[in-house]
Amino acid sequence: MKKLTRLAAVVAATALTAGAVAAEGLNVPNLSYRTGPFASTGIPLMNGQRDYMDMLNARDGGVGGVHVDFQECETGYSTEKGVECYEKTKGDAIVTQPWSTGITLQVLPKTNVDRIPILAPGYGFSPMADGTVFQWAFNAPSSYWDGASMILNYLSDNDLENLRGKKIAFLHLDHPYGKEPIPFFEAKAAEYGFEFLPIPVGLKEMQNQSAQWLQIRRERPDNVIMWGWGAMNAGAISEAVKTKYPMDQFIGVWWSGHSADLALVGEDGAGYKTITWSKPVADAGVMAALQEHVIDTGMTASSAEERAGVFYSRGVVMSMILAEGIAAAQAEYGVGEINAEQLRWGLENLNVTDERLAELGMTGMIPPFATSCSDHTGHSGGWMLEWNGSEFVQVSDLLTPDRDAIAPMEAAAAADYAAANAPWPVNDSCGG
Amino acid sequence: MLYRTAGQFKTSYRRDQALFPVKQDAFLLGIILIFAWVIFPLTASEFAFQALLIPILIYSLAALGLNVLTGYAGQLSLGTAAFMGVGAYACYKLVTIFPWMNPIVAILLSGFFAAGIGVVFGIPSLRIKGFYLAIATLAAQFFLVWLFEKWGWLYNYNASGAIQVPNLDIAGHYVAGPQAGSLTQYYLVLGIVTVMTLLVINLTRGYLGRMWKATRDMDIAAELIGINLMKSKLTAFAVSSYVVGVAGALFVFMWRGAAEPNLFDIPLSFRVLFIAIIGGLGSVMGNYLGAILIVGLPVILNLVADAHLADLPLGWQVLFVAVVLILAGAFLRMREYWALAITLAVAASIVGYGVAQTYGFELSSATVEHLNIMIVGSLIVFFLIVEPHGLTQLWRLIREKMIIWPFPH
Repeated sequence: MKKLTRLAAVVAATALTAGAVAAEGLNVPNLSYRTGPFASTGIPLMNGQRDYMDMLNARDGGVGGVHVDFQECETGYSTEKGVECYEKTKGDAIVTQPWSTGITLQVLPKTNVDRIPILAPGYGFSPMADGTVFQWAFNAPSSYWDGASMILNYLSDNDLENLRGKKIAFLHLDHPYGKEPIPFFEAKAAEYGFEFLPIPVGLKEMQNQSAQWLQIRRERPDNVIMWGWGAMNAGAISEAVKTKYPMDQFIGVWWSGHSADLALVGEDGAGYKTITWSKPVADAGVMAALQEHVIDTGMTASSAEERAGVFYSRGVVMSMILAEGIAAAQAEYGVGEINAEQLRWGLENLNVTDERLAELGMTGMIPPFATSCSDHTGHSGGWMLEWNGSEFVQVSDLLTPDRDAIAPMEAAAAADYAAANAPWPVNDSCGG
Repeated sequence: MLYRTAGQFKTSYRRDQALFPVKQDAFLLGIILIFAWVIFPLTASEFAFQALLIPILIYSLAALGLNVLTGYAGQLSLGTAAFMGVGAYACYKLVTIFPWMNPIVAILLSGFFAAGIGVVFGIPSLRIKGFYLAIATLAAQFFLVWLFEKWGWLYNYNASGAIQVPNLDIAGHYVAGPQAGSLTQYYLVLGIVTVMTLLVINLTRGYLGRMWKATRDMDIAAELIGINLMKSKLTAFAVSSYVVGVAGALFVFMWRGAAEPNLFDIPLSFRVLFIAIIGGLGSVMGNYLGAILIVGLPVILNLVADAHLADLPLGWQVLFVAVVLILAGAFLRMREYWALAITLAVAASIVGYGVAQTYGFELSSATVEHLNIMIVGSLIVFFLIVEPHGLTQLWRLIREKMIIWPFPH
């Protein structure tokens, strides 16, 4: 017993005397997934995001001189863990980055109640673009429907009439994420008379897609468009190589353009394309800054190979979007430590111009875009990248989505969402 | 001495068969109920409701449903998640087709759909047993999840294929959907779980329960003494699926808020099965203990890893020291040296971690997740080695020791 008492005294003493510095600054949690089935694609993105924020902290002392507290909460891509993380981090957070369409769908309805902006760059629910309905959600710079439209524009040389009579297979993850662009493709297929063939890949079949590729071989589609993630991408690409599907007819969404997946097949994958709104620029100013402040000081968890890839640079771009939102809000409200409400304004008034990109050292890493009260996406457009056997290279000029066709669909879907979740407050002050 | 049963005479059959023949049991349960009904709701934070209290209750209820089938009636099932899914989708269809329906009524009704499906998939149990039956229920698992994916009517042809809980109110007070408060949802879940538990306890003590246990222990003998096996097995499937279905409806409507089909895939079935097995098959309390271990512990470990231990309020530190001292003292007196060593090792590592934090040591969240999986995994192995019959049995032994304390056997 005596020993125990002594131990207790030691415990109490250490507990009382020790005092740590409490984290100060802007709390921007990230619901990361460095474990689980999607870790291979998650890690480079998370590293890019983290490194950019670390760089800002080291170089500029944060954003506007205020330290950015970039906390990660591990979800393993599980929706259940994601909700736990969201509840845990929402306390004094000014933003939430849910990082999976499943978690986004769970968190989205709560935003009007909790009043925290969701930043989902390039993922989530396409109708989130409608800022009048989704006041707290942002999916800048491009939504899935934008991506689908850009791919079709590329395939048809900007005239969808050219697609008439063709057959397009859509290989997608059988999950809310993979199903997201189907309404758009179906509408276009009906309008322009091409055959649209959705081929779902279940979560359990990601690594064994022989059935799906057998179907593709039988159907002989003119093009295969892929909405894949994690292990599904590598599975599809190696299966396409095995079945000798012509790689130059195979196009993926931006999440299916992970350099490491293509490196597995190397030369055999040459010709594979992916639409993207971000691309790596090795000699960009920001990469030099990262090298100086984060990589050389040993703060990064990334490898050189990873940093050359598409996903790491996308992570950097994502953090830039957030940092720009913070900076915009700071300038508007004249305070350093902004709150969630103010950041919402900032994200609504992003204006990433060519000049601004040059200042940031990010020229060519992302097309310029701007958000507004009613447009929470920005619709930057994107480029087509092609795998040349060793890396992704740009093969198109800036492609733009067919906004005239998408905007009414977004408005209709957003209205449906608001009706299903009534009472759902709508921001009428936008005026268009 | 601690748990003195002397003087508590059972002078009638009624008293001998009471729910709590020993007064202290009722007293302990009373304390737990006071905590659940009064103290937790008053003190819990939003996070505690959403990440600990509500999920633990819902998982306990699901495990309770499975326990009726597997623990009491001896029919192994691997399709629990699918039956939860049936409850959830039924509830979703009910509230979207009849928007005026009281959500509680909808949740309780949705259990009947699950019960119906459960009975259909229970029919093979009349001819096959054991592992073969497990495969038959696995078929239910795969078929139903496939159905949730492919049958658009179930999710109202939503483009994302997921179901989303609308805002539902009872007399103007939101109980489900994003507008609902955690406290309301907690009380609703607690109320339903309490009623269901009471129902299951009494069912298992009565005619049905005896029939199920006889079937479980030896079905041929049960048949010889005149038990109708078909009735026994199918009622077990019906009651079990009903409870599981209600748990599924609560799972989506009172907690998750949205669900995609593969949520109800086999990992969830296994999770519920693990809760039932680790808690103890054939017991009611075990489900709660199992859920606390499997659902609650990882969350708590994550919290501990994230917290700056040295910065915690004094009250927590005192509480920590007190708990460690009480546990260590108790184990020392009981001469459970293994348990004593483990308690001290855990306490020492927590203190060590706290001290390391003050020197700037920080675990990345991915490392925490890996550690978490390892700790929970090894605890499961540990508990199953120490007590293969689950946590309930562990509690029964402790209780037994306390009743005869200070005299060992």
